[in-house]
Amino acid sequence: MANTPHYAMVIDLNTCVGCNACMAACALENQTPVWDNKWRTYVHDMEIGTSTDDDVRRRFFPRLCNHCDNPPCMSVCPTGATHKLDNGIVLVDDELCMGCRACVMACPYDARYDVTSDDLEQGDKFFGELHYRTRPSVDKCSFCAHRVMRGLKPACVETCVGSARMFGDLNDPNDEVAKLVKTGVAKPLMAHLGTGPNVFYISDIERTT
Amino acid sequence: MAWKFPKLSRRTFLKTTGASAAGLSLLKANTLFSKQQPEKLLNVDKEEVSYTICNFCSSLCNVKVTSRTRNGVKRVEKLDGNPHSTLNRGKMCARGQAGVRQTYDKDRFKKPLIRVEGSKRGEWKFREVSWEEAWQYIDNKVNKPKNGEKIQPWEWTLIGGWTSCIFYMSWSVPFAVANGIPNIVASPMQHCVTTGHLGTDSVTGTFNVHDEILPDYDNAKYILYVGNNSSIGGVSTCRVVRFTQAIKNGAKVVVLDPRISETASKADEWIPIRPGTDLDFCLAMLREMLEKKYYDAEFLRVRTNMPFLVYKDDAGQWQLVKDSEGRPAVVWEGTSDIHILPAYTNYNRTDINGKTFCPSLYAPADLKVPAGLAGEGRPVLTVLQAQFEEIKHCTPEWAEKTTGIPADTIRRISTEFATSRPAIIDPGWHGARFGNIMMTRRVQAMIQVLNGGIDKEGGWILSGEFHHKLAAQVEAKKAGRDDVGAPMATKVGMDFALFVVNAFSSEKTFSHGHPGWAWAYSKQQRAEGKQGVALPVLADEGMKESVEGKVKWKGKPYLTRALFVNAANPVRHYYPDTYWKDMMKNDNLELVIALDVLPSDTTPYADVILPHSTYLERDEPTFYANGVNQDLAVTTRYAAIEPLYDSEEIPDVLLKLTEIISGKDGAFDKFAGMIEALTGLPAAATKAEWERLKAAGQKSPFSKACRKVGLIETAKKLLTTPEHLDKTLREKGVYHEEDWHKIIEEYGVPHKLPTTTASGRIEFFSSLFDMLRSQGFTAPNFSVLATPIAAECREDKTMDQALDPDEFYFAYGKVPTVSYASTNSNNPVLAAINTWKKDIYTGVWIHPDRAAKLGIKSGDKIKLKNSLSGQEAEGHVYVTRKVRSDTLFLHSAFGVENPQLTHSYAMGGTATNKLIPHNVEPVVAGFRSEEFTIRIAKA
Amino acid sequence: MEGMFYSTQNVWTWWIAIYLFLGGLGGAAVVVSCLTNMYFKPHKQLVVWGNISAFIMLSVGSLMLFIHLLDHWAVINVLNPMILITKPDAWIAWGTQFIVWMLVWSIIYTLPYLLETKFWTEMPVVGTILGWFNWLGKLSLKLHKLIGWLAVINAFGTVLYTGLLLQSFPAVALWHNPGVPLLFLVSAFSTAIAFLLLVLYLAIKQEEDHELRVFYERSDVILIGIELMIIFVFFEYTTSGLESARHTAQILWNDMGWIVGFVVFGLIVPFLIEFKGVTKGWGGSKVPIVLAAVLVLGGGYLLRHYFMYAGVYERPYPAVNIIRQHSELKLELAPTNKVLALLPSHYSMASKLG
Ligand SMILES: Nc1nc2c(c(=O)[nH]1)N[C@H]1C(S)=C(S)[C@@H](COP(=O)(O)OP(=O)(O)OC[C@H]3O[C@@H](n4cnc5c(=O)[nH]c(N)nc54)[C@H](O)[C@@H]3O)O[C@H]1N2
Ligand SMILES: Nc1nc2c(c(=O)[nH]1)N[C@H]1C(S)=C(S)[C@@H](COP(=O)(O)OP(=O)(O)OC[C@H]3O[C@@H](n4cnc5c(=O)[nH]c(N)nc54)[C@H](O)[C@@H]3O)O[C@H]1N2
Ligand code: SF4
Ligand code: SF4
Ligand code: SF4
Ligand code: SF4
Ligand code: SF4
Ligand SMILES: [Mo]
Repeated sequence: MANTPHYAMVIDLNTCVGCNACMAACALENQTPVWDNKWRTYVHDMEIGTSTDDDVRRRFFPRLCNHCDNPPCMSVCPTGATHKLDNGIVLVDDELCMGCRACVMACPYDARYDVTSDDLEQGDKFFGELHYRTRPSVDKCSFCAHRVMRGLKPACVETCVGSARMFGDLNDPNDEVAKLVKTGVAKPLMAHLGTGPNVFYISDIERTT
Repeated sequence: MAWKFPKLSRRTFLKTTGASAAGLSLLKANTLFSKQQPEKLLNVDKEEVSYTICNFCSSLCNVKVTSRTRNGVKRVEKLDGNPHSTLNRGKMCARGQAGVRQTYDKDRFKKPLIRVEGSKRGEWKFREVSWEEAWQYIDNKVNKPKNGEKIQPWEWTLIGGWTSCIFYMSWSVPFAVANGIPNIVASPMQHCVTTGHLGTDSVTGTFNVHDEILPDYDNAKYILYVGNNSSIGGVSTCRVVRFTQAIKNGAKVVVLDPRISETASKADEWIPIRPGTDLDFCLAMLREMLEKKYYDAEFLRVRTNMPFLVYKDDAGQWQLVKDSEGRPAVVWEGTSDIHILPAYTNYNRTDINGKTFCPSLYAPADLKVPAGLAGEGRPVLTVLQAQFEEIKHCTPEWAEKTTGIPADTIRRISTEFATSRPAIIDPGWHGARFGNIMMTRRVQAMIQVLNGGIDKEGGWILSGEFHHKLAAQVEAKKAGRDDVGAPMATKVGMDFALFVVNAFSSEKTFSHGHPGWAWAYSKQQRAEGKQGVALPVLADEGMKESVEGKVKWKGKPYLTRALFVNAANPVRHYYPDTYWKDMMKNDNLELVIALDVLPSDTTPYADVILPHSTYLERDEPTFYANGVNQDLAVTTRYAAIEPLYDSEEIPDVLLKLTEIISGKDGAFDKFAGMIEALTGLPAAATKAEWERLKAAGQKSPFSKACRKVGLIETAKKLLTTPEHLDKTLREKGVYHEEDWHKIIEEYGVPHKLPTTTASGRIEFFSSLFDMLRSQGFTAPNFSVLATPIAAECREDKTMDQALDPDEFYFAYGKVPTVSYASTNSNNPVLAAINTWKKDIYTGVWIHPDRAAKLGIKSGDKIKLKNSLSGQEAEGHVYVTRKVRSDTLFLHSAFGVENPQLTHSYAMGGTATNKLIPHNVEPVVAGFRSEEFTIRIAKA
Repeated sequence: MEGMFYSTQNVWTWWIAIYLFLGGLGGAAVVVSCLTNMYFKPHKQLVVWGNISAFIMLSVGSLMLFIHLLDHWAVINVLNPMILITKPDAWIAWGTQFIVWMLVWSIIYTLPYLLETKFWTEMPVVGTILGWFNWLGKLSLKLHKLIGWLAVINAFGTVLYTGLLLQSFPAVALWHNPGVPLLFLVSAFSTAIAFLLLVLYLAIKQEEDHELRVFYERSDVILIGIELMIIFVFFEYTTSGLESARHTAQILWNDMGWIVGFVVFGLIVPFLIEFKGVTKGWGGSKVPIVLAAVLVLGGGYLLRHYFMYAGVYERPYPAVNIIRQHSELKLELAPTNKVLALLPSHYSMASKLG
């Protein structure tokens, strides 16, 4: 197992400029139903510290599936559609998924959305001959497994203009991402839930001073 | 109990069963572990990669295009940043990523359109026609008009957007000159390039389009951004990659902006400055740095005109001390000895007699102009001293009043900036906004020069292409040659700018004796005692008057009767919308042609609409320098797919128009000959290729011929074979020539080469404005030294006086997901993001304290009214603390009117072109697009 | 990292609440009627009424679930019993199997009684079909107790799994706690008993069932009492618990539907009515008990409705699955101490500390 990678993402909030390139890249790479505003990743544009003018900050917050080590979405999935690869990537098999949305309810990170029959119809029009979806299902970020398998980075990471998104292997001690996680600079979200997320964030607040 | 009925699929589950086969396959025992999705995506017959250049902003990113074929159908699937490019470093912004959807936009023009007879311009009544019919229609309008008088060359006006400007300048300008058309309006100029850059360039002597300076954020320790966002974090990929690297390297970032922009959100310090007062901030900085001697004295002494001696004339104007041959004078450090320096050089330590000495930045107290020099007997100062005199009153306390920034902060920033070298002050790209913007840019350049940060790691780097052309130009100058070759391919900096000015302002350029109407109008204005615009370069000033028959030339009306809109959208991009609508609705304008890919807000006013192919469908006819890259490289576009529709290429369209305007006979030689004369592309070779392709029945043969010959010519220049160049570009998308470190080592400006200012030095005392002053332009905008110019947002009120409760200063900016106010807001991917972020992106930003007082909250509909011009527009409120309380901010991308752009139209938003009047500054007719206040009321 | 967001969901709405209600009610009805028949008092009519009603309720409920699916064909994956081997951790997999087998065994258990009754055998279509299954009826009688227990076990599973399913959604404090399966269990049985009381009072109407009715009434009082206690525990848990739980409390305890509809009319009032019935009696009138039973049934639905409705997710960023318009999301942000019910549409509430 030591040779099997364990994929993870680190997001540096200090350099995310909220350009939304990752959203666009992901949507086109993975053919998500943009016509219904459904995305595998979002970049929130948040106003924080809103009580006074001196406090106010603008924060861009990218989010996606955390590819949890202990994914509640998987344990509730009755069909086995949601499954985890050895490399840590959590996937949904649209051939198996019946769309009960238990996983949507179970995911603490709001990472999943529906692909409906209407979306399939729209997708055929939108992506034409290259549209690859054939079945309605629940969908979410796949860590671009199809790219990672070919040795590429996920589409959102590849294009991230701020290099805010970094992708790496936690099992490789020389990997930059692994180092950031190990030193504790990058922290997961809502770790207390025991989900074991594999997306880690570098805070833009603790770091600045 | 607010749940709605669950959204059930409109299709019944039975219909899902294209699925029935799949449904059965589910019964297979192994389906529980089928896990097929990742492979499904890649289940295609063929995958191909090609390279192109992004089409959505002046970042000009290099793009890798992945096309896939399935069931015999080839489509572009995905765009990525070109990983081989040092320009955008393999990255691309959302607009670039989504660019593929322009090609597949269902609203695209698919065939030529002619406005239905009897309809009015603006009504959108068009019928699809063949190209032949469209050309026939145009020919009739030009050569057989109802009034019997053919439309004359000078009665044409061309308007181009940045697409045509950057990619087709080498065709558009020769086309104009060959056909005797002296009128070109180019959309990036008044808003952007001339207004923004000329100020900077008058100091540094560059004059390129957006690549005039390429700050090296990678190596900077301190970066001060002044009113820029979309050229950085909001977003220009080529720059944001360097900007975020700077953050990762630990550079300190300070941003001056009235609101928290994307860039400001990443800064260590956001300085919420009052709109229109950046000049005051910068002047206070300049003053601080001069007073405290926070500068690189050696650099100023040797490479700039700071040590030049000046005096005040009777009119109280600063004048250079010059000898009879116009050469500048300086004083030897620690003495009163005055030396004459060569007129054009980049080195002040050797005088005309070959003597080496040390020029002083300070003249002794009682020094007078010696006999034999201009200004004889008058007290002299150095330029540095005079500059300080000029702005002595511009203290941080003085600036605090207008900027709203505490004096201590201004002082601190000045010190930090001066003591953290390498430091960058970044002027951004989008000029205009205020009458004082050009002066602001001048002062910023001066501040950068004080630190010595020109062509130096961590400072401003000048473009690779600029250096190479400059070297050749300087070489030629030394050898006493005037010209180095085809002017458009060889002239750089101020020489290029002045070449363009001369070509279109002079009545001698064309045999018909007409200069551009803009120049005629300027002269007319000045004859009437009005101010007039000094350099209306490619500007629209006077166009409306020309359409209305109010411009006279040699006693006769100088009419504009035909308009060719080439990849431009003036109704949205110029101010106000009515200026252009009224013009285009005017019957004097007999023909309006639009060449576009999508139905912009301008196209409803056309008589003929010609469909252009989109960037993924075309091999560009030429090879380009690598845009805003510091490195020197060559790149071009390769078509990824065949054109989807019956579209045409720009060179072929211009050739056809040449046949119509100048007659079919000899049209090719006329046009191609001018292309050769101006750009160097050999006409004979192009003709041979063109004829061959035409005979072979190829589509767009001229464009293809130019491409072919261009490849050979470019390869020659690069000392390689066309095959090698083509192969490299096909495999990598860029042909890397030289690393920028090497370029500045060899050709660094002003270290190694004099620049293109009149003196060859970096100029604090501006020779450009000295020249304009001598032509009688005396407004403070033309001051030879940096000087304050107050923004005039209200009548008879200064910027520090209180506003009325419903009144706000105005600021706008670009949104990261839309280019300009372009048709790419129609892109469904971008439109979806914009919808999701609708409040922030399309709302009018108002501070909560003001909103509370006015009783408005987020989402409320409001009316906005320009308090000076009375123009009105609508909007909805986004209450946020991210904006100064005296300022109202909005993104200028929205408010599309043409329902043919289905997504953009549905987006709504406030149209800035309805709020901004036609009010321009006097140097280059830059729009004063924020110089007013806005009053708001609940709608 | 500064600021958490709180939001409810719009994925499993009243549509699913109805299913949860019918599933619990139907399952518990099978358990109670079969066990009554087996161990308290043989009562064919009760079994027929209870099991056939349960069959209808679960068919309707399952159909609703089925309609709610995105890919209807893929339901085959959970109907396949092998699923329990490949996905033993998924409660829906268990639940589906429980429902299917509960329906099968409860019908087989009821079959002999149906075959004895003219009403059923002479019914068009149904009678014909019943005719084909005479052999099964006979077989069923032979193994009646075993089949009864198979029905009961699967029905019990059906009742229990809904609570366990909700409990397996970790981000929602209201759901992710051991009280939920218990509450759903108790509520299911109290509604089932209420339903069977209605059957006894209004449909079967037999004098000799007096003892049974009293037994049911007593059981129901106890169950409602327990339910009241659990609700009190939930009150404590949500008002002084995690932030997400406190948001739930604010939704629930500011909503008249919950307070008056469920707590008062769904629990307290029927409790008092039945308590009086059990202790002092209502002087022979069946009206009060029938009324109480109807109230209990209504309360049973409201409980599930509000449980789905008031489950608050705690998230580090605003939700998007809930309402896609960012602008709406930002309407929000009532501080925790504000009465959330005052917001026009409180399910869209997303609250942010700060
Ligand atoms: N409201 C508003 N106005 C602005 C600005 C702003 O931010 N907001 N920014 C200003 C600045 S900085 C600049 S540089 C200018 C730029 O202004 P423009 O140069 O006019 O820029 P675009 O909007 O990109 O393009 C104009 C037209 O080109 C068409 N087009 C796009 N691609 C192609 C193509 O491949 N072929 C052809 N033939 N046409 C094409 C579009 O459909 C559009 O109608 O705008 C200025 N004006
Ligand atoms: N998303 C996007 N990016 C682009 C383009 C695009 O169309 N869309 N186009 C490209 C082109 S051609 C250009 S020219 C550049 C333009 O890029 P920039 O020059 O960076 O221009 P903007 O983003 O329009 O404006 C920058 C900021 O100026 C602020 N501002 C407004 N008024 C004032 C003022 O008076 N003082 C100060 N200090 N700040 C003020 C606004 O709030 C805004 O945040 O962008 C390039 N990049
Ligand atoms: S983030 Fe959600 S969807 Fe992704 S693995 Fe974790 S629980 Fe599952
Ligand atoms: S919706 Fe699909 S992936 Fe999610 S739990 Fe149900 S079957 Fe599994
Ligand atoms: S990893 Fe791939 S699927 Fe996931 S958000 Fe990024 S681009 Fe989308
Ligand atoms: S691409 Fe990178 S910088 Fe841009 S929004 Fe996404 S994460 Fe942020
Ligand atoms: S910054 Fe974006 S829009 Fe501009 S050229 Fe680059 S990818 Fe295209
Ligand atoms: Mo621009």
